[in-house]
Amino acid sequence: MTDLAAPEKEAVTPVVDIGEVEGLSEKPESFGRQAWDRFRRHKVAIAGAVMLVLIILLFIFAPMFTPYAPDEPNVLERNQGPSLNHPFGTDDLGRDLMARVFTGGRVSLLIAFVVSLLATTLGTLLGAIAGYLGGFTDTAVSQVINLFLAVPLLPVLLVFAVRFGSNPISVALLLSLFLWIRAARVVRGQFLTLKSMEFVQAARAMGAKPMRIIGRHVLPNTLGPILVEATLLAGLAIILESTLSFLGLGVKPPDTSLGVLVDEAKGFITDRPTRILIPGSMITLIVLSINFLGDGLRDALDPTSRVGD
Amino acid sequence: MLAYALRRILQAIPIILLATVIAFFAVTWANGDPRARLATCTTCDESAYDRIVELYELDKPTYQRYVSWLGDVVTGDLGISTSQGERPVNEIFWERFRNTLLLALPAFVIVAVLSLVLSVYQAIKQYSFGDYALSAFSYFGLSMPTFFFGLVLQAIVIQLNNSFGWKFFWTQGLHDENFKELIASITLPVLTLVLISVAGETRFGRASMLEIKNSEYIRTARAKGLSERRVVFRHMLRNALIPLVTIWALDFAALLSGAVITESVFSWPGLGRMLLDGIFATDLDVVMAVVTALSIMAVLFNLFADLLYGVLDPRIRLD
Repeated sequence: MTDLAAPEKEAVTPVVDIGEVEGLSEKPESFGRQAWDRFRRHKVAIAGAVMLVLIILLFIFAPMFTPYAPDEPNVLERNQGPSLNHPFGTDDLGRDLMARVFTGGRVSLLIAFVVSLLATTLGTLLGAIAGYLGGFTDTAVSQVINLFLAVPLLPVLLVFAVRFGSNPISVALLLSLFLWIRAARVVRGQFLTLKSMEFVQAARAMGAKPMRIIGRHVLPNTLGPILVEATLLAGLAIILESTLSFLGLGVKPPDTSLGVLVDEAKGFITDRPTRILIPGSMITLIVLSINFLGDGLRDALDPTSRVGD
Repeated sequence: MLAYALRRILQAIPIILLATVIAFFAVTWANGDPRARLATCTTCDESAYDRIVELYELDKPTYQRYVSWLGDVVTGDLGISTSQGERPVNEIFWERFRNTLLLALPAFVIVAVLSLVLSVYQAIKQYSFGDYALSAFSYFGLSMPTFFFGLVLQAIVIQLNNSFGWKFFWTQGLHDENFKELIASITLPVLTLVLISVAGETRFGRASMLEIKNSEYIRTARAKGLSERRVVFRHMLRNALIPLVTIWALDFAALLSGAVITESVFSWPGLGRMLLDGIFATDLDVVMAVVTALSIMAVLFNLFADLLYGVLDPRIRLD
């Protein structure tokens, strides 16, 4: 900001220091810096980020401190409620549920991470190519996107899941196959708008090659929306994974995930509702923190679209 | 308008066809051999295998089977269910469809009314306690998997039943002996469907209501000295309907396919259960019937939403 004394100063000294006019003395803040400031002030987003980090740390390190193995049955301690020995209780085979929730949580988070990474990379690549090149490539990619959007996701996913859902990695691959279109749609739209902007035309006029224009001028400007999409995709992946696993079409025992734990517990809803509540709340908490984080990122990186506010 | 609608319908046909091709190959390829089910059947002999081969024309290549399946469907024959004693799929389908509508229609009406009222309320009382509470609620609704919310409702009602002998709602299945039983059995699944949809819609509705609230014509209406009630009901509500109505149309198709999860939690004999049972029993015609029907619904309601948008808002040009 210009301080109010500036005009007076100008009048006294005839030689104007260019740095002191119109606030130019301040170095303009970079976009990243501004975005970080906006994100930092977004209380909900910070809460989401902190919660998510805590959960991830818990899932990674807690299994080292539990005395029980997640897959070790104990006939003497079956179907127990929460106690000091077993804070989350035990299941019908006497396995410690806390150890199982942590290992299941790891699997769910791993799937979310892989899906977010794969679907976003594939979507960005195809969306960028389609949006930048236009013509036949764009028509082809757009038609595939339209087809995916026209068909109801869940029923088709279920049909494919019979064959592909079984271990965590195959579930992650299957979900990526269906979710990349979300990232592709966003990136394609961004590329379509950006490629006709003046700074891109200028770069082209100066003889920049397409790869340089994409990598140096267009892609950096779409990183914000891509990051937001990647975050929200992780949340969606956790919901879809747990849903598939709950229906018996996703991760299957002996592998476990939070959805599998709920599925295993649904027969005990009358006697041990905590068996459903604990992994279920875990899923909700993780997705909630991811969504908070995603919305915070959206507000920070793209100040023009404030959906949640 | 009419030309646009016709063109869109014509464009929708190849999409639906392509969807059925993909679904058909996925079903035959991913779901494996329908004869595998007979491996556990002790009373079946060689003729049972032959019957399945004959019904599904398993001796022919997949594309030929697709063509003959499509030919049957176009003439209104959805095929035969092998896991339900060779019952025609048409019969099963309409019965199950009716049951799904028993959940989807009431849920749809409640969602429509609630989302409209809540988003108008939130926009008018922006940053009030109620606004924050509702935003928090919709965050929760969007982050909670449908099956988990259904199970939580179920657990609560079961606990109430057991501790207080409080038997108002059924937690499993469809009971339609009389109207009272029917209401008692649809309440929990409908509530589950409502929560998930309302959460998404109020979030969207609130944002578009805020846009309307801050628009020039609302300021003009206020400047004319209209009463608050008239501004809200006559100027805001009517305009808020435009984005919401189109979301409702899309949501109805989503409710139908989203019912898969809810029906599974509440053992509801609808389309969703039909699909899951079909998938687990490798009942090809059953799976194809549900996937095709849901795809057609999705495409049609998508089109309907676009047309509605054009009718309601003359600023939108459809071409």
